[in-house]
Amino acid sequence: MKKHIVISTSVDLVRIAPERVVYVASDGNYSTIVQSDGETRVLTFQLGQIEKIMSEQLGSERNTFIRIGKSLIINRSYIYYINVQKQKLILSDNATFSHSVSASKEALKQLKELLEEDIK
Amino acid sequence: MKEFDDIRDDQIRVIGYTKSKWVPSSNLKRYLISAIIIIVLGILIVVLVKIRQSTLYEPEPALFEPEVAYITSEPVDKGWIGSEIDSTAAGFTEIVDTTINDIPLRIYIPHNAQMTLHLGKLDKSDPEIIFAAQAADVRADNGGIVGAFVLKGEQKSRGLAKRGYCAIIDDKISIGVAENTPLFEESTAKGGYFFRQYPLVDNGLLVDNEPKGKSIRRAICDRKGEILVVESLTQESFHDFAQVLVDLGVDNAIYLVGSNAFGWAVSEDGTHHKFGDENILKGRRGLPKNTSYVVWRKRPPYKIK
Repeated sequence: MKKHIVISTSVDLVRIAPERVVYVASDGNYSTIVQSDGETRVLTFQLGQIEKIMSEQLGSERNTFIRIGKSLIINRSYIYYINVQKQKLILSDNATFSHSVSASKEALKQLKELLEEDIK
Repeated sequence: MKEFDDIRDDQIRVIGYTKSKWVPSSNLKRYLISAIIIIVLGILIVVLVKIRQSTLYEPEPALFEPEVAYITSEPVDKGWIGSEIDSTAAGFTEIVDTTINDIPLRIYIPHNAQMTLHLGKLDKSDPEIIFAAQAADVRADNGGIVGAFVLKGEQKSRGLAKRGYCAIIDDKISIGVAENTPLFEESTAKGGYFFRQYPLVDNGLLVDNEPKGKSIRRAICDRKGEILVVESLTQESFHDFAQVLVDLGVDNAIYLVGSNAFGWAVSEDGTHHKFGDENILKGRRGLPKNTSYVVWRKRPPYKIK
């Protein structure tokens, strides 16, 4: 069966397919998951905890996700546009959604190099 | 867990690799893939040989199928005092009463709410506010704010009268003790909030303060990442109150205005729980215009950008 990210607390449980996660943003002591269907969900987990959960549950699929700095985890499948100078990163499926997020120049430079390596 | 927080803003990391900046080159990838294929083929050959040998001595089939072990995710217990709340629930303040070292305490835990500072008169009828308490002290001589104070990025006051600080930057609350902290400049640069108060607990250690009297004490605390406001229900010295916070397991705490300073909390059923003296507002002079508050408002529903 396909792997899901399962985030469980004593009250509720969120189960989401990895490809539906566009990005996860740190929101102080919370994290916000932005989904490809336009839904967002705030979780009482810090971003490091979400990263740990993904790392433990997704097996090889975890490589789909990239932690960028302290405040962002992105799904590399949705990277559409990177502008290092403008510190701009657009995540899109080129059809239904487009999210613009910001990261440091150095982080975006490394992300760009990582994607360039992939095509070699 | 620490390794997952060990990343700087100028670093990236493919999830699963705890070392940041780890970017495999394409050549390395090819070598790795080749090595894995060779190892897998080797294992397959060994397994096939073993299977062929074992078929000669195949055991009788078992009477019962072996039990299948299911691995399920355990709920994550963060060891917080407050309850786990449904992330879609409306904001409210959880109130927990407890006693530590014979000192009765009331612990206020805001849920699904966003903390900011407020300067000046506060609207008690604002339905969005689920917790409010006075933050920085006000000088008796000229009514100015004691210590540095930043409101939505605007510096309202400067100075180091007290070493404890609380900063709210990009919705992240930081409580600590330092004479100089970059969070002050960061709060002005990023439209955040900052104020200073007496330090009570610094990295789990008690901090002593000069004032020796006893009073109702309040503090804003960080305990394992959970932000709490703790109030003593009896008059206590700074030292005893700080010791109680240490015994509660608080990592960092600074004082909030105590005694009869007015504030309130809204519990899940909508009840307003007031503390301090509400009538202090009705005096001839009223409250100083520089009276400041820590305020939690219900977190707005998130919208797609």
